[in-house]
Amino acid sequence: MKKAESSHRFAALLDSERWSGITVPILSLLLSLITASILLLILGKNPLVAFLSFLQGSGFVAKSSYGGGAGMLTDFFTFLNVLAPMLLASLGFVVAFRAGLFNIGIAGQMLASGFLATAFIGYSGMSAWAAKPLVILVGAAAGGLLGAFVGFLKYRFNIHEVVSTIMLNYIVSYLTGFFINSKFADPLTRSMKICSNEARLSWTNVQISGMKCSLPLGILLAAIAVVAVKFLFDKTVFGFELRAVGRNPLCARYTGIKVGRRIVAALMLSGILAGLAGVTYYCGYYNTIVPKSLSSMGYDAIAVALLGNSTPIGCIFASILITIFQNGSNYMSSTLGVAKEIASLITGILLLFSSCGGYFRYLAHRKLEEARDKLTAAARAGTETPRNSADGGTKEEK
Amino acid sequence: MEKVLIDGLSFAAPLFIMAMGGIYSEKSGVTNLAVEGFQGFGAFIGALVAVLLMRRMGDGSQAVIYLAMLAACVGGGLYACIHGLLCVKFRANQVISGVVVNILAVALTTFLTSAVNKQLMGGSQSSNKFILGVSNRFTVPGLSRIPVLGALFRDMYPFELIILVIAVVVWYLMYKTRFGMRLRACGENPQAVDAAGGNVDRTRFLAVMISGALSGIGGICYAYSISANFSPNIYMGYGYLAIAAMIFGNWNIPATAAVCLFFGLAKSGGYQLCLSMGLSSNYSDLFMMLPYVLTLLLLTFFSKKNHPPKAAGEAYDAGKR
Repeated sequence: MKKAESSHRFAALLDSERWSGITVPILSLLLSLITASILLLILGKNPLVAFLSFLQGSGFVAKSSYGGGAGMLTDFFTFLNVLAPMLLASLGFVVAFRAGLFNIGIAGQMLASGFLATAFIGYSGMSAWAAKPLVILVGAAAGGLLGAFVGFLKYRFNIHEVVSTIMLNYIVSYLTGFFINSKFADPLTRSMKICSNEARLSWTNVQISGMKCSLPLGILLAAIAVVAVKFLFDKTVFGFELRAVGRNPLCARYTGIKVGRRIVAALMLSGILAGLAGVTYYCGYYNTIVPKSLSSMGYDAIAVALLGNSTPIGCIFASILITIFQNGSNYMSSTLGVAKEIASLITGILLLFSSCGGYFRYLAHRKLEEARDKLTAAARAGTETPRNSADGGTKEEK
Repeated sequence: MEKVLIDGLSFAAPLFIMAMGGIYSEKSGVTNLAVEGFQGFGAFIGALVAVLLMRRMGDGSQAVIYLAMLAACVGGGLYACIHGLLCVKFRANQVISGVVVNILAVALTTFLTSAVNKQLMGGSQSSNKFILGVSNRFTVPGLSRIPVLGALFRDMYPFELIILVIAVVVWYLMYKTRFGMRLRACGENPQAVDAAGGNVDRTRFLAVMISGALSGIGGICYAYSISANFSPNIYMGYGYLAIAAMIFGNWNIPATAAVCLFFGLAKSGGYQLCLSMGLSSNYSDLFMMLPYVLTLLLLTFFSKKNHPPKAAGEAYDAGKR
């Protein structure tokens, strides 16, 4: 009886308007951690040690030993360096997704903006004060233009954005690959010549209490972006219109919203955020581009947005979580001897469960309804004995 | 010129079978971005079986290839169950489910490949590759003498013929059988199928499984022809190219075949043109870009006329009017 009651409360928690945004992702997370633990146990490793070493690799918990000049802060700032583009990219996906659009092209937009920023600003020899804002500007412009182009294709020619973004991903990948190979290739590494330190969006080799750190500028950008996106959707008419278009384009059109323009605007904003992610990734965390390789971050960002319930605040937690797995995987792999691909495997499993989130909620809803039906049936059956029905009634209200 | 036709066909055939996989799923009303993942996972299972068999039967055996293809077909089909479950049973968003399935496939196959290699080699170092041979080629005796077009029948991979046979069977199943008609109806008006006594969810699930099986065959064919091994490099984006071909071909099997052939010829033709004009190999990137640019360009003209399955992209809801 007690068990039934607790499962009932659990279902209510999953279904409630207020809490389901938090409880459903947590349930998905728990399920995937359990699955990952089982996997690690099969491999003969201790899952707790593995999860601890993920945290250690990301600088949340101190490692047992550090190399010269490195420390916990070093790891933590590296973690922030990866976190910034991840958060920006996922915000990019969220903006489009709220307006009912799938921006699968984040990887391509990132690559285009990173490439253009490196090519135009990264080699120009400008001073840091001029170069850094320009890199950000070029990145945002490149991403925004690509995004707006996708929106234009959808608005004018009715081409589904999923199709056009996939095509554009490969076009960008091959086109930048061609230019890098023929003009900007470093003869030694075969990847793009490195972006100058003046233009790079993170300060490398900064000494903080004796530890060498690389300070990311991108995390500031990401924080501003979170606030801006939250403000946009919660407080502005424009944001409301975007959401209206996403919920029901026909209804939005009927109320006088210019749906086509909103679509272009949403994809442009999404592209701008993806472009910012691109410059913080390619001219911040890295300082070079490997030709013809789209970063997997463009797709991981979709995962983050999904896990974060497509809200800006949710994205913060989700991106921290996924970045811990991705960034901590090297250390985990070196301590446990498990191939570091297990990190992306865990991300994949996490994704799998979080895409079932809607179903969990549906199940909980069904369970609650069944329980309610049972109560009303019991109440109806017990009309002859009024005490019972009153009892049932109060329970129902609870 | 000959080389263009030979290479073009060997690229187009696997692409075509993957595109057919996509058509099956989308015609039944399940949007399929997961072709890339299906083909990779199918190729992984095929390559795994091939590697295990080669230890028993020796390296040179060609029978291994056919068994590997069969395994790839089964593996792809089983892996597609994930997409089927998510889209049909769990009513997840189909685009997101496709992306998830792709990410999971890359992670899973990369992880498993190194894990299996570690087991097989016994050492501490583990490569993330299964080395496969390249499939033998053969020439059709009479037909190959035809001037120019005869090259289509020269130096063929056996899988090209197999794919041709499968294509005919699959076309027949889709357009001439009861199952095929139900399947297509599920993508246009699932409520009508339900009313007529069909089972929408089961049909869709089967269609997604067929889609995975076909894509898996495509994947192993690439592993045996272009790369001669299985490694994470199998995720080159050919699955997405197949989706492009499907859309370009207006979800129609014969038209898609033509598009795939065109993509294949454009790719090999571009490459040969590069060589003959003495350009550096960098320029081949520009030609690789061509199919995608063309698709985008032509879609701007034809997308108004394109007829995607009406109900694709949404889970079946019996109560919906």
